[in-house]
Amino acid sequence: MPWTDAGHAGEFQDVGMAPTESPPTLHAEGLTKRYGRRGRLALSDVNLAVPSGRVIGLVGPNGAGKSTLLHLACGLTEPTSGSLTVLGSPPAANASHLARVGFVAQNTPVYGSFTVAEHLKLGATMNPAWDRSLAERRISQVGLNPTQRAGQLSGGQRAQLALTIAAAKRPELLIFDEPAAALDPLARRGFLHSLGEFVRELGASAVFSSHLLGDIEQVCDYLIVLCDSRIQLAGDTRDLLAGHARLISPRGESGWMPTGFEVISTDHSGAIVRGGTAPEALPCRVEPVTLEELVLGYMARAAAVPTAPATAAVRRAQR
Amino acid sequence: MMWLNWRQFRIQALVAVGALVVAAAYTAYLGGDIRDAYDARQAACRDQADCAQATSQFRSAYQNTLLFLATGLALIPAVIGTFWGAPLIARELENGTHRLVWNQSVTRSRWLLTKVLLVGLAAMALTGAAAALLTWAARPFDEVVKEEFSTFVFGARDVAPIGYAALAVTLGTVAGLLLRRTLPSMAVTLVVFLAFQFFFPNVVRPSLIPPDRATLPMSVEAINGAQNLGSIGGGSVIGGVKMPHEPDAWIAQTSPLRTKDGKTLDGAEFNSCLDSPPKTGRGGTFGDTAVCLAKHDLHIDVRYHPSSRYWAFQWLETGIYLALSGVLTAFAVWRIRRRVS
Repeated sequence: MPWTDAGHAGEFQDVGMAPTESPPTLHAEGLTKRYGRRGRLALSDVNLAVPSGRVIGLVGPNGAGKSTLLHLACGLTEPTSGSLTVLGSPPAANASHLARVGFVAQNTPVYGSFTVAEHLKLGATMNPAWDRSLAERRISQVGLNPTQRAGQLSGGQRAQLALTIAAAKRPELLIFDEPAAALDPLARRGFLHSLGEFVRELGASAVFSSHLLGDIEQVCDYLIVLCDSRIQLAGDTRDLLAGHARLISPRGESGWMPTGFEVISTDHSGAIVRGGTAPEALPCRVEPVTLEELVLGYMARAAAVPTAPATAAVRRAQR
Repeated sequence: MMWLNWRQFRIQALVAVGALVVAAAYTAYLGGDIRDAYDARQAACRDQADCAQATSQFRSAYQNTLLFLATGLALIPAVIGTFWGAPLIARELENGTHRLVWNQSVTRSRWLLTKVLLVGLAAMALTGAAAALLTWAARPFDEVVKEEFSTFVFGARDVAPIGYAALAVTLGTVAGLLLRRTLPSMAVTLVVFLAFQFFFPNVVRPSLIPPDRATLPMSVEAINGAQNLGSIGGGSVIGGVKMPHEPDAWIAQTSPLRTKDGKTLDGAEFNSCLDSPPKTGRGGTFGDTAVCLAKHDLHIDVRYHPSSRYWAFQWLETGIYLALSGVLTAFAVWRIRRRVS
């Protein structure tokens, strides 16, 4: 049972850097972003160290600061205080660093009056490492007509085009800001499939934000939960799942609280807890958590509202 | 990078070239016409008496057309700033495509600089070509009429329009960068640019070079050589005076009519000369009024520029506009690096 190596892995905001040669994908220290001088605090004292080679899922409710974090990571905006390095350098520091990071923005913007082929031409003329054969192969695989104007593409086709442009520059890191949010389920599945293929083919790291847990579960092996402009949880999904458990309250005992654990959230049937004493001694049943329970537990804790039992039941039923 | 710029600018460029061809055809026709009329006037001027009338005819035949064309030329930079400059960045920010283009392997400052450079140089070339055409077509007229310092004529000849075009494009770019929306930045660019084009020639241009000063005695002949007396606001003023020995000089500032002790002529006396001067039967532009005023032994103090300073003014003004454009471009680069998301 993975429960035993709880405690060291997946500690809250304590993501030890793997002893690898390559610099961390993302490294943030005290990263804070405030819009306007006295404006909204979008990110507050974020500390992160994501090792390279991961497909990172960034989850959180709308307005949690996901886009802000990703915009900071690709240099579209600058931090108010603190520091962030991407692949070992400040974001968008120069042309060669720009070449190492691919970005697909929310709503996947493209030039409406350009044809698909012209978008590839744009990529080819603006990126020294442009992989033309990769771009053309992908475009034909997803069935895009090169002579069609991008303004006439469907949302799913546009997302595929934006993804192809970002990937064919052969970046070391691909950043996606809710690229699938506006897509219908079929287009989303196709997009996520393409995304996974690109990441594998390029051997790149990727960051992928979404408020759809299913997307994250499908693609990611590293999880960051961002709520209320703060990091709630970050770590390899395997470690996170191993480091948490679901305790089922003994029959008939409502309001039961386990002791000796950090309780993340509770509901009618039990509690999500993190690490602590060995489970054998517990007077209750212990079950592994699912990614969804884990994320919802942390999101609920951040919102300071207990997980609504009905919602949890519905979500379990959906699977 | 250059491919993208050209792809985004090609339609505007084609429209501009088309418009320039039409303008060239028209000015070629007009230039020929003016030259024919000029030759006719030269022929008439072999006889001293006919010359004045021929000159006046020549002048009135083309004055309005050329003024109209000068106004049109003054609008070219304004239109370019509004339709090329303002949407340059604003449209990208509005459509979100900046998030696509800024994440290619080209830094934002380079992207902005190449864009501004391409569109700015195209605007300068277009306006410069239009100004050259008009300057050529109007040359015989300008030679005869000598009004190169009049506000509209100065701004529609030689090199100054090139500077206006550069400023219009950079102003539009900065407006788009700050306002982030196409339509408002177009409106702001148009209004601010036109306001500046009013402000600069009237306020800044006269003192670009320190003017010379002179005191002109107001004899009957001098008064009759002026264009107007008095003003809507009242006061003992005279307008449209020419320097006696340098008729081509630009009089940038004219004092009111002053008496021998340097005081401004009393308004009541001025008005009485204007309304009911003693009858003398003298002719001239202002007739008896001129005689009446001359009796007061008046003079005016003027600040003026000899016509030899024309090219100094042209280059100086162009240089100032180009420098301002450079400042705006530098600001845009600084701003796009730091503050835009």
